[in-house]
Amino acid sequence: MSDNAFPDALPPQYGLHWYVLERVLGQGGFGITYLARDTNLDQPVAIKEYLPVEVATRRPDATVTSRTDEHDERYRWGLERFIREARTLARFDHPNIVRVHSVFELNNTAYMVMRFEEGETLAALLERRHALGEADLMRVLLPILDGLELVHNAGFIHRDIKPDNIHIRSDGTPVLLDFGSARHSLGHSRTVTILVAPGYAPFEQYYSSGENQGPWTDIYSLGATCYRAIAGRAPLDAIARSKGILGSTQEILVPATAVGSARYSDRLLKALDHALSFAEKDRPQSIAEWRKELAGGKPAPAPAKPAPVIPVSTVSSSRIAPMVWGGVGAAIVIGALAALPWLVPGKPQPVAQAEPAPAPSQAEVLRRMMADEQQKFAEERKRMEEAARELQSERRRLEEERAKPAPSAKPRSEPPPRIARATPIPEPAAPKAAEVTPLPLPAPTPQSAPPPAARAPGPAELLASAERAQARGDYGEAATTFKALAENGSPRAMVRLGDLYLVGQGVERSDELALRMFRGAYEKGDSEAQQRLGDMYAKGRGVPQNNFHAYAWYSAAVLSGNAAAKGEQERIGATLQTVEVEQARKLGERYARAAKER
Amino acid sequence: MRRFALCLLSAALVVGCATDDQKRNAINDVNSEFRVQYERILAELGTRVYRTNLDDAFPALRSALGRVGMRVGDQSPRMGYLSVVGPAPAPLTDAEWRSAAERDLPKLREIATQHVGVLGRFVSFEPEGLEVIINATALEVRNGVEISLTARMREIAPPKSGMPRREYLPPSAVRMGLEKIWNEFERELRSARTL
Repeated sequence: MSDNAFPDALPPQYGLHWYVLERVLGQGGFGITYLARDTNLDQPVAIKEYLPVEVATRRPDATVTSRTDEHDERYRWGLERFIREARTLARFDHPNIVRVHSVFELNNTAYMVMRFEEGETLAALLERRHALGEADLMRVLLPILDGLELVHNAGFIHRDIKPDNIHIRSDGTPVLLDFGSARHSLGHSRTVTILVAPGYAPFEQYYSSGENQGPWTDIYSLGATCYRAIAGRAPLDAIARSKGILGSTQEILVPATAVGSARYSDRLLKALDHALSFAEKDRPQSIAEWRKELAGGKPAPAPAKPAPVIPVSTVSSSRIAPMVWGGVGAAIVIGALAALPWLVPGKPQPVAQAEPAPAPSQAEVLRRMMADEQQKFAEERKRMEEAARELQSERRRLEEERAKPAPSAKPRSEPPPRIARATPIPEPAAPKAAEVTPLPLPAPTPQSAPPPAARAPGPAELLASAERAQARGDYGEAATTFKALAENGSPRAMVRLGDLYLVGQGVERSDELALRMFRGAYEKGDSEAQQRLGDMYAKGRGVPQNNFHAYAWYSAAVLSGNAAAKGEQERIGATLQTVEVEQARKLGERYARAAKER
Repeated sequence: MRRFALCLLSAALVVGCATDDQKRNAINDVNSEFRVQYERILAELGTRVYRTNLDDAFPALRSALGRVGMRVGDQSPRMGYLSVVGPAPAPLTDAEWRSAAERDLPKLREIATQHVGVLGRFVSFEPEGLEVIINATALEVRNGVEISLTARMREIAPPKSGMPRREYLPPSAVRMGLEKIWNEFERELRSARTL
């Protein structure tokens, strides 16, 4: 809206039927949520717009369109799911489940209209209070269990429970937001860590396409959310846990019974540890079973009408501005907005089935994961070899063409001038000249140019074409074009080329060159490059591993409007001292400001 | 023989009768206590603003940290970021470390004793097996350059599975280390006649 932090958002006062937008409540990788006014009923509502930024973009006429033809199918599929799940959600009339009023299609996308409620997310509450006492925690947990049981019994699972997706109303009652299976619409194109919430997602969500997921998946996430509320930090991520179990690291999850000892009842802590069991078969298999443990064998108190509980502080208007996610007036959908969610998998998943399919053992799961990795590696290698062959033949062809004498009558015989470089790439030198096969880029259309249909493709088209080539596995072609565009100063091409250097697709693998590309794109103010630099520091690729520096880069990316970096920022932040987080955040501000100044 | 560091790793504990749970609880409590004090000390001594510019402040910072025995691990001079690492007791000398340890030992033993009983009386601070990492930032502000320092410990060998990491330095060592670094930094700035 008017806020530069949300460049893709619709402007204030924009009308969607009888709803008038007021401001953005938040944006994630899958959509934007607005505070709006229903002018018929004269009341505020929250409206979530489907806009998965990875595959779609906003056009000047406000419509949303897929980025390329290749993205169209995924965009359409996601859109359908969005609508279908809004309809499903609308069926649930429960005080602790987000209330959906309506869904409609407009601007080539869809909008979900939800009840707007004052309050804040559990994440924000925990940020302020660090931890919750047992009584407060149970006042959040039990009503959520009640709502979730309804969802499970209807055959759905949430898939994305975390503190960001639990909203605490002004009267202290909780409501579960953002049913997150929308993420499936983007399928495997994104890294898994973006699709799941590190620390809150169980292991099966990292590797399985859905067949091993069930109520026990949500129970793990709820257990992890409670762990955060008692320990002051999210539990160790499932991937890190798997490494500890395999013995490649010595990290294991410190049990709730250890971190909460003497502050919480043994009954609660044991129930949390049970919920956080690594293997899905070891966890409670249903909400009813887990509730029984929480209540110590006694029937749990009926949670349908919980006592007003945690006092949610009224945030003064002066605090609202810096709180991107909302503060007072935070809509029911604040927070992860990202996950336009939805309830479930491609096929409806019977949740309360009497005999769930037998879950594989932990060792079997890990073996399966390693076998998958090996297979992917073999396929990748094959693709790389093919790409290298194609690249070689393309180079030969170009050399032959260049060697031919140019017939003077044909304008095409002269190599078209390259597009002038707007600004030279500063520090991050482009790859060595010998490695670059610059693609002749088109000159601005001269007066005598052929009709539009015959014109040479512009940089944007070349970029899109290279991205299509990358998507279909023609890495050699993609790399050649990205290199040429990067040489001419395209930050996006630099990022894409950096990605190829990271995995060695179409080019020889080189962390150093990847780093140069990302730095080059950063110098041009690209927020995706800032996220990549965070990744490089987090993983120690091309640079010494440094979580502090990674956090600074992720912060810069988030400040530059890259909401997708937020998850990684939070994950890395959990490994830092509070004072380090503050210090790194300031450094991130410096990075973001410097990029904007350029 | 001096082994491992901080708290709870005295031979008595490792070999003794304390259970893993007791040791874990003791380390957690020591971490909590040291964290509180560390944050208090940083609020007082962790950040300073100098009337200078980044071009002068950054080299001075790097030299100052080098003088106290730290080596550069990562840096971005243009942006004002510097990460240095050194084997404990750096940035302190052996004598300074012993002096700091003596001051903090009673508190450490008091906490340890609550969890492991009489064994807690034998724990000690030892610097071996530890590295100290300092993150320094130099950010331009309206009236000069704001320098911030944070510090953490890192165990060279990974901790025993399930054991919390010990990341907070003894409070007296933090205070002493910061004062030492600021003194060196100011000396560097003075020598460049920019203070």
